[in-house]
Amino acid sequence: MAASAPLSLDGHWASESDGEGHAVFNAEGIHCANCARSIKNTLGTLPGIKRADVNVVNSRVSVTWDPGVVNLGTILGSVAKIGFRPVPLVGDAAAQSQKIERRTALKRIGLAAIGSMQVMMYAGGLYAGAFQGIDSDLSNALRWTCLIVATPVLFYSGAPILRGALADLRRRVLGMDVTVSIALVLAYLASVYNTITGTGEVYFDSVTMFILFLLLGRFVEMRGRHQTANVTDALARALPATAQRIDPDSGVATKIPLGDLRHGDQIRIGTGQIIPVDGKVLSETALVDESLVTGESLPNRRHGGEALLGGSINAGGAITLEVTHLPSESTLHSLVRLLERAQSERPRLGLAAERMASWFIIRILLLTTLVGLVWYVIDPARAFPAVLAVLVATCPCALSIATPVALAAASSRLAKLGVLVMRPDAIEGLASVDTVMLDKTGTLTEGHPRLVSTETTGDLDPARARAIAAALEASSQHPLAAAFKEYADPAVVSHDARDIAGLGIEGHVDGSLWRIGKPSFAKPGSADSDAQIVLSDGLKRSAKFRVADVLRTEAPAAVAALQTRGLSIHLASGDRRAAVMDAARELGIDKVSAELRPEDKLRTLQNLQNEGRRVLMIGDGINDGPVLAAADVSMAMGRGSSIAHAAGDLLLLRESLASLPLARDVATRTLVIVQQNLRWAVIYNMTALPLAAIGLMPPWVAALGMSLSSLLVVFNARRILRASHAVGGAA
Amino acid sequence: MLQSLYLLIPLSIILVAAAIWAFFWAVNRGQFDDVDESARMALEEDPLPLNEAINEDAKSRRE
Repeated sequence: MAASAPLSLDGHWASESDGEGHAVFNAEGIHCANCARSIKNTLGTLPGIKRADVNVVNSRVSVTWDPGVVNLGTILGSVAKIGFRPVPLVGDAAAQSQKIERRTALKRIGLAAIGSMQVMMYAGGLYAGAFQGIDSDLSNALRWTCLIVATPVLFYSGAPILRGALADLRRRVLGMDVTVSIALVLAYLASVYNTITGTGEVYFDSVTMFILFLLLGRFVEMRGRHQTANVTDALARALPATAQRIDPDSGVATKIPLGDLRHGDQIRIGTGQIIPVDGKVLSETALVDESLVTGESLPNRRHGGEALLGGSINAGGAITLEVTHLPSESTLHSLVRLLERAQSERPRLGLAAERMASWFIIRILLLTTLVGLVWYVIDPARAFPAVLAVLVATCPCALSIATPVALAAASSRLAKLGVLVMRPDAIEGLASVDTVMLDKTGTLTEGHPRLVSTETTGDLDPARARAIAAALEASSQHPLAAAFKEYADPAVVSHDARDIAGLGIEGHVDGSLWRIGKPSFAKPGSADSDAQIVLSDGLKRSAKFRVADVLRTEAPAAVAALQTRGLSIHLASGDRRAAVMDAARELGIDKVSAELRPEDKLRTLQNLQNEGRRVLMIGDGINDGPVLAAADVSMAMGRGSSIAHAAGDLLLLRESLASLPLARDVATRTLVIVQQNLRWAVIYNMTALPLAAIGLMPPWVAALGMSLSSLLVVFNARRILRASHAVGGAA
Repeated sequence: MLQSLYLLIPLSIILVAAAIWAFFWAVNRGQFDDVDESARMALEEDPLPLNEAINEDAKSRRE
């Protein structure tokens, strides 16, 4: 493999400073914990490496080295030498390498699918001929045709399997690839030999079908890996790419890339824009919507000198900000790190499976050798078919599809309920959780303010008051203005409405001047609290509105249904304690924590997990990202932030929590079917193995049995689709 | 009768090759790059809801 790609130390993926080099890159080809370990070990033996970390989930390698002893080229070269392709991690390049990996995988599957169908057709002819008699010329022609079609399938589609086996052998470890490759290569070579000599059996159909099944499993796994890697990119997109820096001399604002910002720079943020970095307010006052970062539902007022968080939205007039933290030091950035840490801690189950597989494979190989030796002594001519039959019969095909097909059926059933399954292990998780942790804003509530009461004085009709308010607020960017939108009346129009930053709006409706906003602004001298919005014409007529983020109507019933299913419900919110307690009381939830920062939420979750609970986290905001990623299973709201989408295992498309208990029922049922399938697959393998070993089962019967057993598993899984009508009807 | 098979078998190989070529072409053109997008598209807000677009259009005609 070409080790020395052109390398440059500029860009963000690699840097050298203060006698220390640091680089983060993708290593293509990592698909198991063994791979990660071998990269780490290889790097560990290089002189001058200070630290090396490998993340299995997103194939990311992070190294720190001493530039005096070793250089980046040597490091990348040593990774390439053991069979992984290092790819620099520069935004687009990472996405590009993902795209190429996906396209190559698709082409391999496509070729294997078309090829194996075709070979099976020819093989069907051969089998029929074996029973009814076939012209030997025709039989030879069919065998050559099989050879022509099967060859590209083995060497192009099967390339990752063969290459994986070689890499495993070179590293002296045993993976699934090794036994599979032995079976494939033996069967192929024997078939080629028999085709040329025109004797014995050919196994091209088994070879191609086997490759197809294996590739399908890997494709599912690869998609999961890519989705995880996309999480961080989604978070990066939450911030704008540029900022308006104010020149200290001329006072003119110019657009510059976010990366060029320095400490102490002054930047300008317009109404409705996202604040790009953490900073200090220089304007007198600012109104910011921090729901993206903290989950707090209502906008906050900040005064001059107070801190603002990057990622929040400027809900008031234009403000000036002094940069106190660079983008790389910001709160949002630390969220990314939390998220990455949470992800890297996750695949415990995968590791266990990996170890199991290696144990299993050593035994299969020993057994196959034993069978071969025994047959060689008894009857050398029957040794090869027996060896092949054992290798095919022990192929855990039904075993390996038993779970995925049931999960696929459950996914489509869940999709009908409005729940999108983003990661295949989510359904298993959903069935096994015993605790549900809920976010409040945007999850239990609608996430945007709604008018809950209107009080009027003077001869003002409430409906008219609402229409006037809607007319005045129509052009406002203020988050609370959205509450009035639904009351807009085309007959009531405002003129010369203007936004008075931080106070409210004034404008003419039907010839009189109305003001809406803070009580002190709209109706000077009034003693109403700031929690209310007041509308007044400055004379007799006025109205008081109460606006709140109300609970979804179906939330209490959904929570109760989850409780009757034996789940313990926790409410964890970043919102103010009073608001959270009100919601909890209405929902009948007694375990409540409020005013949590993202790291507090993560800690609350981890405490629950340390108690031995398996937790389903449901949330919507960027601040929920790390908790969603760390939870045993997570569900993101469809209307939530893209970061929550990316971190969620499940996505609730329908704006209704009523699907939750139903989804849990589907998951529970799926788990039962998965267990039936697994039991069947194990029974099949256990019966087929001795039959193959004593020579009662020729390879083609083993392959046919394997396919039939797989079919049975598939049909059993389809019951999830049908039986779910009963589940849907019961609610 | 049987002779026709010697024509049909090579023909089937050509057809398979054509099918594979078509599939590779589609993959290389990015046809399967993002099959989830259509599922997610339902979540994205329309730039302009349909009825608003119609109103807008009607208004511009009046003016």
